[in-house]
Amino acid sequence: MQPTFQVHYQPSHERDSFLFHGIIDAQADIHLEEMVRRATCSTVQLDFSGVGRINSMGIALLLRSIKTLRSEKQAEVQITGLNQINSMLFKMTGIFLMAREVNA
Amino acid sequence: MISLDEHGPATMVFIGSQETGCGASAGTTGLFPDLPAVQERLLHGSADKPELIDELLALIGDHDQAHALLCQKASLMVDEMLENALYAAPRGQGGQPLFSKGESRSLLPTEQIRLRYFFDGSRLALEVRDSWGSLTAAQVFAFLAMNTASADPDPERAGRGLFFMWRLLDQFYVSIRPGTETIVGGCLQLRPMADY
Repeated sequence: MQPTFQVHYQPSHERDSFLFHGIIDAQADIHLEEMVRRATCSTVQLDFSGVGRINSMGIALLLRSIKTLRSEKQAEVQITGLNQINSMLFKMTGIFLMAREVNA
Repeated sequence: MISLDEHGPATMVFIGSQETGCGASAGTTGLFPDLPAVQERLLHGSADKPELIDELLALIGDHDQAHALLCQKASLMVDEMLENALYAAPRGQGGQPLFSKGESRSLLPTEQIRLRYFFDGSRLALEVRDSWGSLTAAQVFAFLAMNTASADPDPERAGRGLFFMWRLLDQFYVSIRPGTETIVGGCLQLRPMADY
């Protein structure tokens, strides 16, 4: 079965950048846990430009990951590349209260 | 019919339940078009979901920005409706969930999940029926209220899928025959009166 979600890590001196690809749902759990483990910089940027659908389970996993990045890694989380519907979902669910949207 | 306009942009929500007496399940029948062009699919298991979503998106097409946005909304709505039917609806004698979200599963021999959809070029109607009837009207209202108060986003909060349906669908209905059937449906306009 083809993986429905992938994370590409792009480290730099300034920040950890993670480029997401695919659908974010319950299957993304292990990938998001690994993403949190790899983050070491004080700024973490999450790029959603390759993401299609994010369902309610995916939102729950993102909320959990962003909370952990903030509380355990003391990281500022930035978000970029959202499509219109995913931007609505982030607004509805309070993700923007924990992570700032920035231009890529 | 209960208007919840003050809480969100959904234009209408109808929650019918034989349990509460606030509307018989037959009351939602008229909300879904009774036309020959209605497509109906029976699920065999969770593996059917991606193919059904692709089928629906192919029907809508990707002609312009409005169609692309409708595709995004439609795929999320069908995903949430099917996830509810596959993982939230099946309950044991004690009310515990029988399946974990994300696990691959086939339908039980006595179980039925039915997807119906219809697109006339300007309006998309969607509906999923499961043969559990385990949801209650009180739960639906509690989920909507709980997720509306999002000052402290809680990853573990339940009912987020129903909340998305309420916020994104132009019409949203739930019909429950306890222990027998739950119907969740609604419609999306290609060009809504007001986007948000």
